Amino acid sequence: MATPSPARSFLGTMSLVFLAISAIAVADMFLAKTERAESRVEAARLFKQGQAAITHGENAEAIERIKDAISIERGNRAYLRTLAHAQLTAGKTADAESTLADLLQTDSTDGLASLIMARVLVKEGRFSEAISYFHRAVYGQWNQDAAAKQLRARFELIDLLAQRNSKEDLLAELLPIQDQPPGDLKMRTRLGQLFLQAGSPARAAALFRAVLQDAPSNADAYAGVGEAEFAQNNFRAAQRDFQTALRLDPDDQAARKSLDLCNELLTLDPTLRGLGHEERFRRSLKLVELTEGEASQCAGPNPGPELQGLLDMVAKALKARVSAARQSDASESNLDLAEQLWARRKECKPPPATDSPLALVLARIAQ
Amino acid sequence: MELRVRTPQYIRKTMDSNQRPSWVARLGGSLERLRQREDQLTLVLSVVLGALVSLVVVAFILLTGRLAARMYPAGGAGWRRILVPTLGSLGTGYLLWRYFPFARGSGIPQTKYALFIHDGRIRFRTAFGKFFCCSASLASGIALGREGPSVQVGAGIASVVARNLGLEPKQVKALVPAAAAAALAAAFNTPIAAVLFTLEEIMGDLHAEVLGPVVLSSVTSWMVLHLVLGDEPLFHVPGYQLVHPVEFGVYAVLGVVGGLGSVCFVKLLLGLRAWFMRLPKSTVWFQPAVGGLAVGLMGYFVPEVLGVGYNQVEKVLNGDIVLQLVVLLAVLKIVATAVCYGSGNAGGIFGPSLFMGSMMGAAVGGVAHSLFPGYTAGPGAYALVGMGTAFAGIVRTPMTSVIMIFEMTRDYTIIVPLMISNMIAFFISYRLQKEPIYEALAHQDGVHLPTHHSRSESERLQVSQAMRPAPVVFSPDLGIGSALHQVEDGAFDAWPVVGAGGLWGMIRTSELEQAAEDGAGNKKIVEILDHGPPVGHPTAEEFPHVHLDNSLSLALQRMGAIRLNVLPVVSRENLRQLIGIVALNDVLDAYGVAKPAGEPERRE
Repeated sequence: MATPSPARSFLGTMSLVFLAISAIAVADMFLAKTERAESRVEAARLFKQGQAAITHGENAEAIERIKDAISIERGNRAYLRTLAHAQLTAGKTADAESTLADLLQTDSTDGLASLIMARVLVKEGRFSEAISYFHRAVYGQWNQDAAAKQLRARFELIDLLAQRNSKEDLLAELLPIQDQPPGDLKMRTRLGQLFLQAGSPARAAALFRAVLQDAPSNADAYAGVGEAEFAQNNFRAAQRDFQTALRLDPDDQAARKSLDLCNELLTLDPTLRGLGHEERFRRSLKLVELTEGEASQCAGPNPGPELQGLLDMVAKALKARVSAARQSDASESNLDLAEQLWARRKECKPPPATDSPLALVLARIAQ
Repeated sequence: MELRVRTPQYIRKTMDSNQRPSWVARLGGSLERLRQREDQLTLVLSVVLGALVSLVVVAFILLTGRLAARMYPAGGAGWRRILVPTLGSLGTGYLLWRYFPFARGSGIPQTKYALFIHDGRIRFRTAFGKFFCCSASLASGIALGREGPSVQVGAGIASVVARNLGLEPKQVKALVPAAAAAALAAAFNTPIAAVLFTLEEIMGDLHAEVLGPVVLSSVTSWMVLHLVLGDEPLFHVPGYQLVHPVEFGVYAVLGVVGGLGSVCFVKLLLGLRAWFMRLPKSTVWFQPAVGGLAVGLMGYFVPEVLGVGYNQVEKVLNGDIVLQLVVLLAVLKIVATAVCYGSGNAGGIFGPSLFMGSMMGAAVGGVAHSLFPGYTAGPGAYALVGMGTAFAGIVRTPMTSVIMIFEMTRDYTIIVPLMISNMIAFFISYRLQKEPIYEALAHQDGVHLPTHHSRSESERLQVSQAMRPAPVVFSPDLGIGSALHQVEDGAFDAWPVVGAGGLWGMIRTSELEQAAEDGAGNKKIVEILDHGPPVGHPTAEEFPHVHLDNSLSLALQRMGAIRLNVLPVVSRENLRQLIGIVALNDVLDAYGVAKPAGEPERRE
């Protein structure tokens, strides 16, 4: 048999090499594709196990399973988010932060990752950073039902601000959702309560009234309107609303307490419209008496000369016999005296309760 | 130089039958021209082979992984973890003994044997056997790695293709390391480390001439790997940072632990292999089953020992394995790998080295972190450095290990601690285990490969150790008769001529004698010198010479080239400044070869 020439042999071998490259490339592509598909299935299986473990409160087990899933399908954002959530639930905040930092490095607009990061930071007591991540969650990208999820994220932030009593920040977060309140009555009622907490009773009252238009027998909304009216010193209106709320829901202890307070205020307040001179004078004396009691008790047996002067004036006022014609003027001076005494009382430790009937009446007089 | 290429007859025929040559003819012509240009052909083939080897290695990795997932699935029955490695190693042991005897072991020493002993010749059967047996044994859970075998498979493919292309042995020997680099680049996803390893370990010379093909092949392989499997590093690690300068001390401790661990592993592996080799020949075919059974028993209790274990490495890099398990795994893996390799299974030690290193690192890091939590990073950072440390201690390629870890993890911040630990581990390993593992394995096989030590030893003897002052120096104006008179009893073939500007060159005694015979005895030396006073910067060929720090082997080579038994020793700064001469007898004397009686003594 004739030996092929070197050139022919060379060409033949090169052809075989290229043929082999093509064939193995096809085989590799097939193997890689199959492997990826099977890996995804295996990763999903492990992930499901992890989710089930989270549901049963077995967070350590969940973390293990989800990590196994991630080691197979690296970079799966859903797995990584769930891992961070499990780490947070297990109290491994540093691990959760690290997981989320990697996630947010690749996509800083990830709404859910930002929200979990905010929760991690809240748990670590890093509130200002947490608020920033809450904002990223509120304005970030969400896979499905983005508007509802963004609203939930905002409410979570609002709850945090309410807990921390950051009234200005709270109001800033509430205002954007005031014009588009959620359709759910419960949520709208809650929003009204939050406005109350943020120090915006007028907006709260408007929200509660809007709820009452849709649900006229909503006891919570009536109680809310009552609180709003109360906060605006409209004690009579508040009393009416609390009474309606209690009629609709007699078990509402908060409304009952508020109504009691209202009643006390209404019996104490000398500035209410429609009171006669005599009644106004009587209430002003009662107010002086109560204020004197608070101030004396706080100052102890040796009050300062200034307070002593005021106490002497109180004693005189209480003993004085005032004619009907002078009762109006006497009421004014009594209220003035009560205010001065209250100012002294405020300087004394411990400070007086701000929600006591006396304090509320005096605050209203000061206004 | 113009190269004239003759178009082969069959291509000419195609061209004759058609007025314009077809694309087949043109392609054939181009390939033929390429075939006749050796250097270009080597470069082109290194690219082609890089792609081919990469695809084969990817297939090897994917097949091994898929088989392993079926043979001992996670959460499978315990008995399966004993039975599968035992049967796997028994089956492959028989095949290795019966059909593929050269496919045993790692593949690195075998590639070196092929390169340095057999002119780059590796049989197709060996490459195929390596691929098949390693896939089967690694998939069955044997605690060995896939990278060394990939190197031998790649080198085998290059050897087979190159020989079938009708290339010269020199070209085959250039393509074998190129393919080895391609295989390693694909197996580890580390193209730079693959180049370094090929030069540092396989060639034993970082300045080897094959650098071009090796780089091209490695890069091509890496690109193909990315096309098929995408851009994923071998290990995903969180970003680590040096927490406190105190950590450098802990990394130094890790270097010590890694070095000692490496020595333990190498000694155990070599000892067990020597013991198995002493057993009767009739037991060779089932010896691998001992390794399989050992790893199976360990795997029954601790499943993480089975296989290459890169999943565990990734876990420990992320700090997800507790300290006790980390220590246990480090110890078990050392024993399992040593038994598997020593008993003759097919598989490498790269992967296990990384496994052991990561566990040792995590153990040191875990202890340090529990003692000084405010001053040290978590165990993951130490596991990362530990991988390089064990690699440097076991394989003894410190440069490769640094670059490899960097490429695997793509984390630059760990480089400095890595270098510290690696160097300490390398030093300890060098002190306690003089012979690097691949050299020791070759010695056990009765093969003596050129080692770095032997190379440096041959380079160690320098001209300065054999040089003597020139006994006679001629002036160019000296008469030929006088010159001949001066060298009447001289033992040298030539003499330096020094004139204005320094050394002019060497004049041969035979030239002087010839001139005297021709009646030119009263002429001056300058008249018979074939060149005048020095000009420009002559090369060693134009102006034969050596320098003080040149090796004696180079001096011998140059003496042979010009057929003289003496060379001038000149300054590196000024080639015309004669420092002395080096003579053949003095060179032989320096090598310890007995000098013939009556030779002139060298004066220091």
